[in-house]
Amino acid sequence: MSTPDKTTALGREVTRRDEGGADGGRGQTTIGEGVVTKVAGLAAREVPGVHNLGGGAARAIGSVTQKVGLGDARTQGVSVEAGEKEAAVDLTIVVDYGESIPRVADAVREQVIKRVEGITGLKVIEVNITVNDLYFPGEDAPDEAPRVS
Amino acid sequence: MTRDGDSGPAVSERAMLAVLAAQAIAVTDGVTATSGPAERWQTTSAAGTVAGVLAVADGRGRVELELHLAARWPPSMPLRQIAEQLRERVRRSAAIAGMSDRLGDVSVAFDDVLTEAVSG
Repeated sequence: MSTPDKTTALGREVTRRDEGGADGGRGQTTIGEGVVTKVAGLAAREVPGVHNLGGGAARAIGSVTQKVGLGDARTQGVSVEAGEKEAAVDLTIVVDYGESIPRVADAVREQVIKRVEGITGLKVIEVNITVNDLYFPGEDAPDEAPRVS
Repeated sequence: MTRDGDSGPAVSERAMLAVLAAQAIAVTDGVTATSGPAERWQTTSAAGTVAGVLAVADGRGRVELELHLAARWPPSMPLRQIAEQLRERVRRSAAIAGMSDRLGDVSVAFDDVLTEAVSG
């Protein structure tokens, strides 16, 4: 029995695996899309030169939601469309100033593919990376005292 | 599939298999049981509550198990391999307990990844 492909919201086709409903006939193994998302985010953070994930708004909202225990930094800036056999990953990253952006992007792509494929068994068909910002050391430091009192 | 109390196996078998599955999860490296949002993945019986395991009578005299897991980061091996190990462990335990003929499908679901706090 064949299973129709899944066409994602962005028009990408993510092929489903025809498992006959079970792994070896003794029960299914399922890996949630949230798991794939977290694996992709954690993999991206392992790459030197990646300062953070997410766009400016996502990071601002994320910092607030995480403080109240609702947000999860591991999924910030990561969007995954996963079928049962393939996955497509979109990432938004902030790169450390001074790093080569193309080199960091290539390394992120390689690491995400390695981790997602190795851990989940899904074939990663694409990793789209948006470099949203550059991080300058000291950017997060508290504001200096006003010059005038 | 029927809930306990229908024509399925007795409560004690369902609870026993849930406990065996929970023990198998506990001794498997890299994973921990998760009862999920609103604690919907758990088995409650007279013997107590088993988190992360849904044991359901299949209506044909067997009990199907659904194991809900969070994987620790980084996993030591592919998740499907961990699932296979776990499934085998549950089947072995059921055999030792003389309940092989009562054990139905053992499904494994990975629902979360656990890490140390990630700064963001």
